[in-house]
Amino acid sequence: MSTTTPDPIETLPTAAPAMPARPIRQAPPFATAALRVFDLSLSQMLWSRRTIFLGLVVGSPVALGLMLRILDAFGFAGNIRMGGDSVNGSSVFGAMIWLLYLRFLVPVLGVFYGTSLIADEVDDKTITYLFVRPISRTAVLVGKFLAYVVTTIFVVLPSVVVLYLCVQPLGHGSLAEGFLSLLTDLGLLALGLVAYGALFAMVGAAFKRPLVAGLLFVLGWEQLAMALPGYLRKLTIAHYLQALVPHVMPAEGLGSALQSLFRDVPTPTTSLVILFAMTVIFLALAGWLVERREYVLEQ
Amino acid sequence: MTPLVVADHVSKWYGQVIGLNDVSVSIPTGITGLLGPNGAGKSTLMKLLTGQLKPSKGSITVLGEGIWGNPRLFFRLGFCPEQDAFYDRMTGLEWVSGLVRLNGYTESEAKRAATKALEIVDLIEAANKKIGGYSKGMRQRVKLAQAIVHDPELLILDEPLSGMDPIARRRTIRLVKDWAKAGKSVLVSSHILYEIEAMTSNILLINNGRILAEGDVHSIRDLIDEHPHTVHVRADNPRSLAREFLTRDDVLSLKLEQDAIIETSKPDSFYRYLTELAASGHAGTITEVTSPDDNLQAVFKFLVK
Amino acid sequence: MPIHDQSYRHYTGQRSPKGRAWTVIASAGVRYMLAKKAFLALLVLAWLPFVVRSVQLYLSANLPQMPIIAATPQLFRDFLEQQGVFVFFITIFTGAGLIANDMRANALQIYLAKPLDRAEYIAGKFAVLAFFLLMSTWLPAIMLVVMQIVFAGNLTFISSNFYVLPAIFVYTGIETVVLGLVMLALSSLSKSARFVGIMYAGFIFFTQALYGVVFVITRNSGFSWMSPSSNLMQIGDLIFRLPGRFQASGLVTIIALVVIVGLAAFVLERRVRGVEVVT
Repeated sequence: MSTTTPDPIETLPTAAPAMPARPIRQAPPFATAALRVFDLSLSQMLWSRRTIFLGLVVGSPVALGLMLRILDAFGFAGNIRMGGDSVNGSSVFGAMIWLLYLRFLVPVLGVFYGTSLIADEVDDKTITYLFVRPISRTAVLVGKFLAYVVTTIFVVLPSVVVLYLCVQPLGHGSLAEGFLSLLTDLGLLALGLVAYGALFAMVGAAFKRPLVAGLLFVLGWEQLAMALPGYLRKLTIAHYLQALVPHVMPAEGLGSALQSLFRDVPTPTTSLVILFAMTVIFLALAGWLVERREYVLEQ
Repeated sequence: MTPLVVADHVSKWYGQVIGLNDVSVSIPTGITGLLGPNGAGKSTLMKLLTGQLKPSKGSITVLGEGIWGNPRLFFRLGFCPEQDAFYDRMTGLEWVSGLVRLNGYTESEAKRAATKALEIVDLIEAANKKIGGYSKGMRQRVKLAQAIVHDPELLILDEPLSGMDPIARRRTIRLVKDWAKAGKSVLVSSHILYEIEAMTSNILLINNGRILAEGDVHSIRDLIDEHPHTVHVRADNPRSLAREFLTRDDVLSLKLEQDAIIETSKPDSFYRYLTELAASGHAGTITEVTSPDDNLQAVFKFLVK
Repeated sequence: MPIHDQSYRHYTGQRSPKGRAWTVIASAGVRYMLAKKAFLALLVLAWLPFVVRSVQLYLSANLPQMPIIAATPQLFRDFLEQQGVFVFFITIFTGAGLIANDMRANALQIYLAKPLDRAEYIAGKFAVLAFFLLMSTWLPAIMLVVMQIVFAGNLTFISSNFYVLPAIFVYTGIETVVLGLVMLALSSLSKSARFVGIMYAGFIFFTQALYGVVFVITRNSGFSWMSPSSNLMQIGDLIFRLPGRFQASGLVTIIALVVIVGLAAFVLERRVRGVEVVT
């Protein structure tokens, strides 16, 4: 009796025959679509090597704070002074918020993540999968923006809290005393991340080299405009953000001195309204640009 | 039948480089093979058909609607791109279900649909493994899964067999044919001729940004009548056969090797004569007649000079 | 022989001596950057301060009664410090993708499969960055010295400040080596040129901000070694025989720069490989 070996391919399950009537599907509403893109993007962004590295960078002020606390515990920190006067931890914490978070970390995180929202997906060539779904490109952008906001808040805000716990008790400072200003700091840093992120999402959508443009804006234009008298400062995010800071601006150089000299502080309400408006406008512009732009992937 | 895709005088240029040059085609239902050498414009055409690029000139309609800026069409369209790019940290199931949720599926529906799609591409056992750990063939299959997961009417597959082993290749070719039998239409691109030939005889041949030919490969072959057809005839008495052939005006050349290799300018007439000769037995027994010419390779070689 | 051989023919021409392969990488990199219009614009912009300073030197030669614009070693020191802005952007523009793009494209394996060792590969990449950095620092500074001589019509300034010329060479050399190696090391750490740019911005500005906080707290500029850019400023002052602007000693500054260079070299040695070891 002859036996024939069945063709292994022929024995594999086949695709389904004629499908039953397809259920009619509606595109998810804009907010739902954005949230689903957020779901897809969050773990990619949060647990990437870059975020872990940036988390370490953001942790360096905490290391500095810990060092100060240890010195204080061993009695070596009696000489902590600012401007010649002995100060408590609240002033030190305020100086760190100004110099490290507000002037550098928040804007630079905004530049990095904001300009990369779509650009990273284009470089990784995964953007195709998002753009061939029945959702608008703006929803993709907003979803990724939300993932950026959550990621950076998750990285930055806990480090601020730990820094506060390390530094606030210095010089007989009280944790309870500074608690409200800590909450204000957390709120304004989050708002800064949102506003800068929206601005640089627009820059990322508009420019071919958004990183250079972003760094020029943050490290060049904002520093210059804030140090000059007149209306130029109103064309910065820093002007409105700094109006919300509950700490005195430290004098650490010519730049700070000039900024203090020409400081013209809008009211908190004005700042909040303008920052929110900026966020919405920049995101809307970014969406408009992304809808119209062609993304040619590198071969 | 209304064509699925209509491109009307479409050109696309990137700066000074022309990607597509005045292309006008209609792609019918069923399986269509988009064939061309590397750099011919296949991927450019596919990107235009999937709304990733906008034509510099002309217009494209897919399933009756313009595709650029029309994401609703993606309910009915599935695209498997060429590039090997994924969210490597996600598992196959997470990735496919995450993408199909963007089609409006709920979480449970998405998971069910993704599981089914992964079963179809024979990736269900690796569904919970990270894509970063997949082999090339597995990555290609998970790409196919995300293209079919929402059960689209039209599938556009850009080099879908790239990187697959022979068994996976055969399986995918069979899948494509099964999808067509189930009522879907498929546009599949490749620069490998036998892959396309195994799937369909309806081709779109492109080179240097221009469409060279479209339609059934045999019809195209017939139209290339200035190119002589080669016919191999194996017979008991090839010399006697040769004497008969040489009396004909349409026989351009004749070689006697193991077979008689004849070049003719009128293949239809020649085959009629050959049939009569075989029936009469006048020139001996004819055991085999083949034509290496009547296939995609010959068409390709001739048109893509 | 009537019928010539059409098959492959081995190259019988002259070959460069071993150890010159880095020049191929360097020249290709330089040509690649010079083809970018935006970068050319940046290079042109980087020479604008030279034009301004040349005008100052002309005026100082013709208006000796205005000591404020007189040619001094401080002028050259200030010029090089002001070029720091362009140095920052040129370093990011040129250097961020130098190794990162090769890693993204898996090109390192191809490079190192040629008769080219890792040191030559790094040397070639470094040469690209060094070329443009020196073109925006050393070259305009030397040209300024020439301008000073031409406008003054004599060698008085140079003969009384003979150390200015070697100071330009040494300072621009140190700046190029430190910043170039740091950028290459950062570029080898990632496949994304954008991320490398951010890391470099952090290296320069975040460390400066950290030092700023420490200074505000302690009022002691002896901690300037924390900031690489402050170290370069300090070493520049010392090379030009000017009083250091920070309290950190020259030795501490040099040690800090050597540590930075050493770390960069270590990172490059670990990262520039033909294979990636995955554990």
